[in-house]
Amino acid sequence: MIVTCVSKNRNVTGDGAKTFIILLCDLLRGLKAITDKERSSFGGSIQSQERHWKNCCQWKYISQAILTFQAHILDYIMAQYLSKHFLSIFSFSGEEKKFCRSSLELLLDAYFCGRVGRNNQKFISQLTCDYFYKCLSHEDGKNEMIDLVDEYFLELCTAVTGLPVSSSRIISGFVIHRDFSVYCPADGDMRIIIVTEAIQPALSTSGSELVVKSETQFQASHIWVTERTKTIMNDLQSKGIKLLLSSVKQQDAVIYYAKLNGISVVECIPSEEISLLCRIIALSPFLPSWATSQCHISDAALVKFCQPILLNSKRYVHLDLLSTHSFIPHCLVLCGPVQGLTDQHIHAFHGAFKVLRQVFKVLYLSYKVQGNIQNETSNSVTPKDNKQSHHLAEVYRALFERQCLGSVLKSEGNPSGMQSHLRVTPDLVLSSIESENSIPSTTHTHKIKGNFESLMCTYPNKIGISNAKESIVAIRCDCDGDSLIKIPDEHVSVVEQTCKISSCTIIGMTSKEVFQNASKSYCTSFIQAGSVLPVGGHFEILLHYYLLDYSRHCQQPEVSMISSLIANALLSVPKTLYKAKKGNKSFCHVYLRTLHALQAKQWMAVSQTGLESVACKYQLLTSVLHCLTKLLTIDLVIRINKQPQKTGDDEAEEDV
Amino acid sequence: MSRVEAKKPSLCTCELLTKEIISKSLSVLREIVTSCYGPSGRLKQLHNGVGGSICTTSSSSFLFSNLSVTHPILKILTTSVQNHVSRFSDCGLFTAILCFNLVENFQRLNLSTATVIKISKHLLSLCTDYLNSESCGCRISIDFSNMKTLLCLVQSILTSKPACLLNKKEADHISTLILKAFLLTIPEKAKDHAILGKSIIIPLKDERVMNSTVLPGIVIEMPEVQLMRKFPIKKLPSDVLKVALFCISMSGDISDPGDGTLVISYGVSLESAVLDQLLNLGNQLISDHVDIVVCQKVIHPALKQYLHQHHIITIDRVGISLMEPLCEMTGAQTIGSLSLISPTSYGYVKDLCSTNFGSKHYFHLIPNDSTVCSLLLCNRNETAWNELKLACQTAQHILQLTIRQPLALLGGGCTETHLASFIRHTGINVPECILKVNDCTQTEYKIVTNAFCNALQSVACSLEHDKGKILTDRKYGHFWSIQPDFPSNVKWQDLVSKCGCGLYGNQEELNWCLLQDIHSFAPLNSSVQQATNSTGHLTLDCFTAKLHGLQVAVETASLILDLSYIIEDKN
Repeated sequence: MIVTCVSKNRNVTGDGAKTFIILLCDLLRGLKAITDKERSSFGGSIQSQERHWKNCCQWKYISQAILTFQAHILDYIMAQYLSKHFLSIFSFSGEEKKFCRSSLELLLDAYFCGRVGRNNQKFISQLTCDYFYKCLSHEDGKNEMIDLVDEYFLELCTAVTGLPVSSSRIISGFVIHRDFSVYCPADGDMRIIIVTEAIQPALSTSGSELVVKSETQFQASHIWVTERTKTIMNDLQSKGIKLLLSSVKQQDAVIYYAKLNGISVVECIPSEEISLLCRIIALSPFLPSWATSQCHISDAALVKFCQPILLNSKRYVHLDLLSTHSFIPHCLVLCGPVQGLTDQHIHAFHGAFKVLRQVFKVLYLSYKVQGNIQNETSNSVTPKDNKQSHHLAEVYRALFERQCLGSVLKSEGNPSGMQSHLRVTPDLVLSSIESENSIPSTTHTHKIKGNFESLMCTYPNKIGISNAKESIVAIRCDCDGDSLIKIPDEHVSVVEQTCKISSCTIIGMTSKEVFQNASKSYCTSFIQAGSVLPVGGHFEILLHYYLLDYSRHCQQPEVSMISSLIANALLSVPKTLYKAKKGNKSFCHVYLRTLHALQAKQWMAVSQTGLESVACKYQLLTSVLHCLTKLLTIDLVIRINKQPQKTGDDEAEEDV
Repeated sequence: MSRVEAKKPSLCTCELLTKEIISKSLSVLREIVTSCYGPSGRLKQLHNGVGGSICTTSSSSFLFSNLSVTHPILKILTTSVQNHVSRFSDCGLFTAILCFNLVENFQRLNLSTATVIKISKHLLSLCTDYLNSESCGCRISIDFSNMKTLLCLVQSILTSKPACLLNKKEADHISTLILKAFLLTIPEKAKDHAILGKSIIIPLKDERVMNSTVLPGIVIEMPEVQLMRKFPIKKLPSDVLKVALFCISMSGDISDPGDGTLVISYGVSLESAVLDQLLNLGNQLISDHVDIVVCQKVIHPALKQYLHQHHIITIDRVGISLMEPLCEMTGAQTIGSLSLISPTSYGYVKDLCSTNFGSKHYFHLIPNDSTVCSLLLCNRNETAWNELKLACQTAQHILQLTIRQPLALLGGGCTETHLASFIRHTGINVPECILKVNDCTQTEYKIVTNAFCNALQSVACSLEHDKGKILTDRKYGHFWSIQPDFPSNVKWQDLVSKCGCGLYGNQEELNWCLLQDIHSFAPLNSSVQQATNSTGHLTLDCFTAKLHGLQVAVETASLILDLSYIIEDKN
């Protein structure tokens, strides 16, 4: 089960299989230590059977705790604390976002470090980088391009054995891994069509009968079949078709007439290649019709050239396609002395594109607003808790003041608005927390409108929402977002988008519901696309630090237990990484240095040796936790001789 | 239900190269390979215990394809060499020996593999840069107007395969034939990218080697039945013969009826319908004045008979491999239809005659002007013929590679020793930046360089199998070998006659010394090209193949050193 979990994770992120195992092992070890400790405190009085059940219950309990941890705390910490350390693969130059090649190279270098032999690492990562840039037509299309490359990677690359790795190269266009059946050299642009069935009509089709009454009839039907083929091929030629790509084997007669008409033919093309071709050039297969004399060609694409190419001592077809996509077709030729090595490189390459896909994806985090506080005050807001909510209100107020200060600075002549704002804020927050059932008075809403206006000055043009109700929501969320996520002011744009997302989800609710929801609503935040951290366990150390910090402040014992457990398990990754290093680079040194820097609030990315994607790391951690909960909920393994009955769905998944 | 067997757990081995069994089998395989190397290499007889054919060989491709290597590490090495051979035909043994030497030398070093791999990669790039540079002292460019160097190249290949069992005269004869056949495949009217023709090797076993010959055109073996018939050929006024090439079966079988069912009324014979169709086709061929009908598959006897009556010669069961050269030679298009033949698909040959070679009779299709030729290759017995055929194919391939990159490396071990002394010389003072990039110290660099050069030199030393001593000179860094039992009071100069490649003689004072105790010096490399013109016979190696062999060997050695675990699935 663990193995399937690992491979599933790897399929998504293309990375992190080893880290997965290390983390999981350490988590399990940590868990065992905890349960052992508790057991020893009970003494040996409990029967073993009973103990077993007790363990199971405990584990189940822990697994649930982990689930809630994953749902609320992890995302919260990711967004609140970790995000400020993220570096971006993009370099911001004015308005435009551009990803810089050097950071991309660093990312790939780090990725290939453990994937390919040391002597080839640099070369392969350069090659990947080149490939990425060559295939990319414009920056906006990168996600689409990466998806396509990821999906059809095996069709896009050719392994060549017997050549040194350094002979690997990128060739423009597309290589069909079949030889020409007929090759007629032609110059200039040529039109191509794709067929997926035999062009020559068969004497009889399935389900029908051909009744042969005489020899002459049989001969005539044969001649008719050949005639049809001849006319179809002549017709194709007259329409300027120069190349016929077929996914099936065509009859000898087709080949013969193609040759006579100067049409090149490639047969038996694998279906994956056909579908990739269809996608790249947006071409649908041609269906020959035998009934009419003229066949209608709906689609024909243009290629620049089409020539044989010799790879792996086999002759393949090399097409230069004119792409209609954001993907400019390029093929990889990966060389290596033995097949195992080229396979390894192909997999590493494929994984690299998965990593890139993760890097460029926006990772959405959703966690309960006030996740921690609400756990504590969940039962009911009793008068005793007033203190706490007051405290909360104070926090809010302080934040709002800061916010307003900013707004005042920008909208200078608006003191009254600021005053009302200041006055309103605590009431508003209190009302939203405490009076859950009471409908806020109209005055409140009114004041909030004023509030909104003042905020509008802060973010002119940015909150483009006209509806008053929506705007309230937007501001509410904005406040929530700002106060809880503590996103620094530089990330205004992030906040703004958050607002939009939140507002979209809550549109159409009554104000009452909105207020109720706002206090409880799931707040969404996200890790920006292209967020990266330097390699060398920095992610783990950072997360460790903040989790420990969190668990120290957390009142709930089990939550703090879980988070410290995970925090300590996280450390195992950098521990393993630095195992071989000595002296200044040993684990203890690195760890202490980072911690000191963090306490002094001046943590900086020290080493620029390589980068890794935050999104991948996050994915990895969540899937480890997922796997762990799955493991913990199992209490007994029963051996059976038969394969368990599978439903169709499961099988389909396995096939994938 | 099928029986489900319990899966065996995977086997995991670590600390690979230090294991005795592995190092032992590595050295055994190295011994085997090393002893095969070069013109005086020892032959290996491969046969299995239960009988069957016996293969006597010294070539790497036969050796590695027949040896059953079980250990994964050895498998990496052998497959990597096999892949190289399949790509370049030549220098398989060189690659294998160098790889073995590198693995063994590096493994003894006691340095971290990361450093060794990085430095060896750097050394490899030094080698390739040097070999590709104009100033390289062990490389000559080949002049295609002068057949001498080309002939040397072919002869070097033939002499390095002692299992062909050729004497000097026979080797010269065969090399001339190979070169002649190769020249016939070069088209006369060269366009932008000329396409080389084909030379087809026809086996003639149990014949004298000197009976081998080259014929333009294609030679096809004649079935015995046809011997009885005389074939009078009526010549066209234009003095050419019209040829029709069929790639489909003309045996009268019923073609695929499709997915549906065929309902045949009583009394209707499809066979006769198809035969009628065939005879109609015959009529068309007759009316088109076709002289020769060639079919890849079988021709129906009735059709054959009919065509013979009309003085048309039929050749059937030609096989797919001959179809392409036939098309190229005659200019015909293969016909894939039994009805409706386009008159443009016929081709022409100049003449057709029957010839005898040994006890067999052949059709000989003589072309007008074509790049197709047949090399009739004779040798005394089966295994020697196989080896000779391999050598011929290698030579043809090497010539093709050479025409693409008209360079050759000095053979006979001279390239290896020269390259080693060059690398040693550059290793004396290494710039700081290189050490920094490779993350190593000066001493580490020196140690690895030394191991690398020793590996290269011991490849050269494996050419000597008769316990002779190996010398090198301090001027050019070439390879010299002398008799084992030399008197101690004689000068080196009187013992040596010619260096390994034959470029230099003993006239010059070259400051010889034993190869083992060579110290670094700067090898001279100025006068190679002039020297080649003055000397007679040279031993040469294909540039492309050897360069790639070098790269593959170093890469494979790195790969093997980099392995720390083997996980085998024993299911």
